[in-house]
Amino acid sequence: MKRRSLVKGALAATGTLAAPAYLRAQSSKKLSILTWNIADQQELFKVEFAEFKAANPGVEIEWLDKKGPDLPAFYQTQIVAGTPPDIVDLQGMIWVDYAAKGGLVDLTPYLQAEPEVAKRFNPDYLSGWIYQGKTYLLPFYVAKSLLYWNKTMFKEAGLGGPPQSFAELIGFAEKMAKAEKTGFLTLNFDWLYWPLFKMNGVELLSADGKKVAFNTPQAVDALAQLAKATEAGGVNKISWTGRWVEPNGAFASGTVGMLHAHSASYFFVKGQGPWINDQTLGAAEAPGFWSTPTNHGFAISKGSKNPDLAWSFIKFMTSDKCASAFFKTRSVLTANIVADKEGLANLEKTEPLAAAVLRTQIAHTDKLTGNWPLPYDAELKDAFWPEIQNAALGRKDAKTALADAEKAVNRLLSRKKA
Amino acid sequence: MIHRYPRSPIHLALILASFVMLVPFYWVLKTSVSGENIYAYPPSIIPRNVNLFYYVDVWYAIPFARYFMNSVAVSVIAVIGNVAFNAMAAYALTHGFRGKSFVVLLFLSCMMVPFQATIIPAYLITGRLGLLDSWLGLALPQCSTIICIFVFKASFDAVPRSLIDAARIDGLSEWRIIWHIMMPLSKSAIATNVILAFIWSWNNFLWPLIMTRSADMQTLPLGLARFLSYQEDTTGALYAFCIMVLAPGLLLFLLAQKEFIRGLTSGATKG
Amino acid sequence: MVFLKEPMTPPALRATSPLRGEAIRLRHRTRRALLYWCFLAPSLAIFLLYRIIPIVWNLVLSFQYWSPLGEAEPAGFDHYEDLLQDDVFWQALWNTLIVIGSAPIGIVIALALALLVNSDIRGRDVYRTIIFVSYPLMTVAVAIIWRWMFDERVGLINYAARTLDLIDKPIPFLNSFTWALPSVIVANIWQILGFYMIILLTGLQTIPHELHEAAAIDGAGPVHRFWRITLPLLRPSIFLAFVIGMLNSITSFDLVYVMTGGGPGRATEILVTYIYKLGFVQTKFDEAAAVTMVFFVLLIATAWAANRLAGGNVGAMDTE
Repeated sequence: MKRRSLVKGALAATGTLAAPAYLRAQSSKKLSILTWNIADQQELFKVEFAEFKAANPGVEIEWLDKKGPDLPAFYQTQIVAGTPPDIVDLQGMIWVDYAAKGGLVDLTPYLQAEPEVAKRFNPDYLSGWIYQGKTYLLPFYVAKSLLYWNKTMFKEAGLGGPPQSFAELIGFAEKMAKAEKTGFLTLNFDWLYWPLFKMNGVELLSADGKKVAFNTPQAVDALAQLAKATEAGGVNKISWTGRWVEPNGAFASGTVGMLHAHSASYFFVKGQGPWINDQTLGAAEAPGFWSTPTNHGFAISKGSKNPDLAWSFIKFMTSDKCASAFFKTRSVLTANIVADKEGLANLEKTEPLAAAVLRTQIAHTDKLTGNWPLPYDAELKDAFWPEIQNAALGRKDAKTALADAEKAVNRLLSRKKA
Repeated sequence: MIHRYPRSPIHLALILASFVMLVPFYWVLKTSVSGENIYAYPPSIIPRNVNLFYYVDVWYAIPFARYFMNSVAVSVIAVIGNVAFNAMAAYALTHGFRGKSFVVLLFLSCMMVPFQATIIPAYLITGRLGLLDSWLGLALPQCSTIICIFVFKASFDAVPRSLIDAARIDGLSEWRIIWHIMMPLSKSAIATNVILAFIWSWNNFLWPLIMTRSADMQTLPLGLARFLSYQEDTTGALYAFCIMVLAPGLLLFLLAQKEFIRGLTSGATKG
Repeated sequence: MVFLKEPMTPPALRATSPLRGEAIRLRHRTRRALLYWCFLAPSLAIFLLYRIIPIVWNLVLSFQYWSPLGEAEPAGFDHYEDLLQDDVFWQALWNTLIVIGSAPIGIVIALALALLVNSDIRGRDVYRTIIFVSYPLMTVAVAIIWRWMFDERVGLINYAARTLDLIDKPIPFLNSFTWALPSVIVANIWQILGFYMIILLTGLQTIPHELHEAAAIDGAGPVHRFWRITLPLLRPSIFLAFVIGMLNSITSFDLVYVMTGGGPGRATEILVTYIYKLGFVQTKFDEAAAVTMVFFVLLIATAWAANRLAGGNVGAMDTE
């Protein structure tokens, strides 16, 4: 008798050990949504999901959130296994790779059937999600690069305001460089540094994307100047070697004159630097008003079993109401015109400095650069960026570096069939 | 010992080594309990403004208790699996049989397979077995490790043949020989298996990351993601979290190492 | 005399004719062998599922064009040819070799520590515990800790060096092309030192005291005894430590990924991080598979070479 109950107990235990938790909840329709590093929005999402479920009875929502570097690994494993999340929040250019391989649902038919949805969004931001004429994502939230400037350091160096040209930028940077202090720092992931080249009239690739266009005298000159300034201390070395914590932390310590970063940096820097207030920090646009966006959008996976339901969901999440709520809790621009206008107006009263930062995000959205929809974006970065680093850090001279970069990128392009 | 070497240089060298090993811990510990801006220069050697705010932050920021329980469950399964399966495999390897060298070579080459290259097939296989998002699925790849098999084997090899033969004459089955004769004589190997299997399973990051979907199945290391998030400036909490994850593995080692020592020293006197 | 090699047969059977006895012993042997295979079965099953099948999957994939969303097409040796031209691959290979080559440094330090801890001093247990304490730490946590230690502004290394007047400007360790890989290796050795020490300590403990005593009586000095007695008998342990050190070039994925991400440039890129990036960042699993196969062969070749140096026959692991 004892033995049998032991065996029964063991079998029951194995059962609980083996049964996947998420299968235990049964429901008629299930939506799974994978977001990119916004686990802190738990409260807001709880409310919003409840609202959606009330409007669509019988629907279960599974919310997954992964850190940026982990999301692609997770998502791709799920694709291979045939269980991709219905909706996925993607950042930067990784979506183009998935879209090109047929992994995302084309949203164009949905948008054509419901034209008022497209009208919600800032057209420049919406067009950032188009590949080969098809729209694959709806804007969730946006951040583009701007120029933060340390007013105190500017005053000390006798400078009036933010630079209006590349030459001024380099000049100001060199003026503010003294001992521990440096004049300029830029973030470098997701092509955030590209405005530095664009403001010198440099293009990365030809219009058809088939040939290299960046090996020009202007590019060589710009890169050489950056390298020289880096060596002299005007441009902080971390620009070329840091990722997120180092560059933002450096600016937050109050020893860097200008930081070229996107709006998300503001909150990180403010948290680290108690000296920051609207008297000491300014938010301006980079010379030439060029900026690189790093945006987030909602896409629907091809393997989704409920694409129509998924569409209703992302329509809901980007509606004026939800976008406003998101703006309020996250203080980030959503590309939803109504929500942004309302949010900014409120922010002006409560936190003028944050409002100033976010205002740059809707200014000059026609001058977005560094956001080419190429499926091989990651490889392109890998071929190009190391040479920029080499030149900026003085390991190669600018001319050789760009020539080597051209060789590497050409080799990459020649191997692409599309 | 016949020769008595001067003691102080040995102590000095060991103290220096201990210092080097402990300093990084201290540095992180002091950061996790200091209340000031951790990026301030020059950094303070003694933490100013000591408070446990960051630890509280960690406790509330993630479902620490749930993650902890998941980690414990998975590690316990992995340890039990390791001790059982490794002992069986090692016992088999102490005898000669046809195909044995093939098996040994197979095991050795299995060690050389990088985990990152196995993620997708491992996930698919686990899915086929219906073990996704479950404790057993999380623990299964860790339920046997080659290094630990050889640890058992080395220990079993040291057991005198006569003992085993006598047991066989007495009619003990092979199975019972493992558990009643070999294992009691291999306490240090068991301790080593337990320690290593626990550490490897407890600290595993990539596999649970890919494997778990539901939030309540996640293991403790995955809670780390919360603090590496770049939108938060809770870097002090990050270090508090590191300390909190470290504790169980360390505790287990401190507890199990007594057996470990006993096993080692008894092995020496056996000659 | 052949009786001594085989398992003992019950006395009753020995009374039968030699041929019949032979047949019975054969049946016993086969049954025994079957039993041993059963004992091996659970471990073998786990390795089959989680190591053997995946490596075969990689092998097959390395000869195909495939992406998670498409069908597989044969690619012949294309991926391998691409690797030959791939600068990043060669850099990663070189860095991996450096990491593997740094294992002996850790082993030598660990050996010194093991010898010290093994000597008859008070508090050896405490020292041993302290030195091992870095191993139970999550590798990601080790990476975070050392990233903090090497931090350019508030890291301890820079702070100490500047306070002691060794340098006047902080060194950006993890951002420098020359210092990045050594920094990662330092963190790596710190983490695994305790583990090496335990292995070597176990080996030291199995060397009988009598050997040392006899040699000492014969007039051999401590250094002489170390080279002629300790070291040769320690060979299997050293070999095991080296193999573990080699496998470290796999397991230090978390360390490199979190400390430097492979940068600056490709200064700290190792094969295993490159495999991960090719697969999960660039979605090129087929190319990642090719790199995996190269890495796998490299490891096996190194292990084999180390085995020969350690005195053949997998040290003490393959006693018949």
